[in-house]
Amino acid sequence: MSDHHTGFDYQPALPISNGKAFMWLFLSTEIMFFAALFGVYIVIRFGAIAWPSPHDVHLVEIWGAINTFVLICSSVTIVLALEASKTDDGKQAKGWMALTFVLGSIFLGIKAYEYKSKFSHGVYPQAPHSGIYEKADVRYAQAVRKRLEELTLEVTNPLNELKSKLDSGDVEEGNLEEFKAQIADLEPKQEVIAEIGMEVTEAEIELRNNPEGVARYDDEGNRIPTGREQLMILADKIYPRASLHEGHGGGHAEEAKPDQLQTVSLTLTASGSGHVTGLNDLYEWLKMPIMIPGGNMWASTYFLLTGFHAIHVIVGLIAFAALLGMNLGKVNSGVIENVGLYWHFVDLVWIFLFPMLYLF
Amino acid sequence: MADAEHHEEHHGGMGTYMAVFFGLCILTTFSFLTYFDFWRENISVEMSRLFMMAVSCTKAMLVIMFFMHLKWEASWKWVLTVPASIMSALLVFALVPDIYFRMDYASNERMKYAAERPAEVTEASDTHTDGADHGEGGH
Repeated sequence: MSDHHTGFDYQPALPISNGKAFMWLFLSTEIMFFAALFGVYIVIRFGAIAWPSPHDVHLVEIWGAINTFVLICSSVTIVLALEASKTDDGKQAKGWMALTFVLGSIFLGIKAYEYKSKFSHGVYPQAPHSGIYEKADVRYAQAVRKRLEELTLEVTNPLNELKSKLDSGDVEEGNLEEFKAQIADLEPKQEVIAEIGMEVTEAEIELRNNPEGVARYDDEGNRIPTGREQLMILADKIYPRASLHEGHGGGHAEEAKPDQLQTVSLTLTASGSGHVTGLNDLYEWLKMPIMIPGGNMWASTYFLLTGFHAIHVIVGLIAFAALLGMNLGKVNSGVIENVGLYWHFVDLVWIFLFPMLYLF
Repeated sequence: MADAEHHEEHHGGMGTYMAVFFGLCILTTFSFLTYFDFWRENISVEMSRLFMMAVSCTKAMLVIMFFMHLKWEASWKWVLTVPASIMSALLVFALVPDIYFRMDYASNERMKYAAERPAEVTEASDTHTDGADHGEGGH
């Protein structure tokens, strides 16, 4: 096929290289992709009945701010790599590129640490790991009871077995100490399980006897908490939400505070970042279902947005690693420019994610 | 294609990039200010959010203009960025009727598993309904 026309001076459609034109086309699709995610987050969040405050879900603002700083630094280093490459200083360009790679890795490391802190509190985007319930109602009580049954199998039954063996003298002399140690380990757990079991039973009885939540008073004239209120108090003991216990940080929590919660004294102790230690924190083996109004939708949007952003960071890191094996002199400055454009876009997305997720 | 890049004169430079970097750091500090008590006590939530978005947009513009070099690019930049921005805005507005108002018309079945609707703060709020039973059933 002959395409050789003479006398015509063909101009490219855009006055930039094909690679750069492609990268900008790709970025414009990325703009729409992230705009959809941000849009969904905003309309879901502001249309939600309740939304947890950042501290309710163990978000720590300072980590978000540090990550913002790290990404800004990496944006500078990649642009300096491009400048060095344009002056054909491949060695310097490689240095800046390596620094960008390190900064990107730090960002991911902090993100991984943050994810872990959510997971360790039972905040997952989806069942079966997610233990989040939207309100303290009969379904929550049912979930608590289900977990209690599991714990009965793990703790109560073995404990009873050990005790009966010990009572019947069915223990070898050499094993006696070990037996007693096992019992000493299980007994405190059993006490916690029994206490929660008692509270959930009382709440359920109150719910059954007074389903409408009509105000009732004891002999001394004190109002008896309704079943729902008792469950709310229990949920707060298991997973105290920061917005109910601190002066700020939960300032935006769109939820009612039942006055009964003020009576929750318990074993709650204040820990760092305004968080309060609950039973799930005190006893790591407990893993009771938790109650965070709006928590499920929060987890879905948070992990979706930050997850997609993290995937973009990983892709960027792969590109940097590939570039580090190349000659980064003038001959490849176009490639650095394109990868840099992509990386700036990743930074751009985080610029909006940080305030929306951590500060709103 | 090499001809196409001839028009690119040198721009940016260490000084410009450092100035932008410090600008971005200062702006990040600005939005982080909203976290502190003195800010929360004196400025409304809506104003804070508006402020944070303004700061973010400024930061985004700095990155786009200087780090992504759009300040120095020819007019082709509008061809790619403007339609993408318009489509993005339309996308967000299109979500409002379905998603933003989803709880206003939620079925009873759905409300069973939804969070409580916050109790209205009224003087008579400590009678028997007490927040805990609000929202059940939807409307």
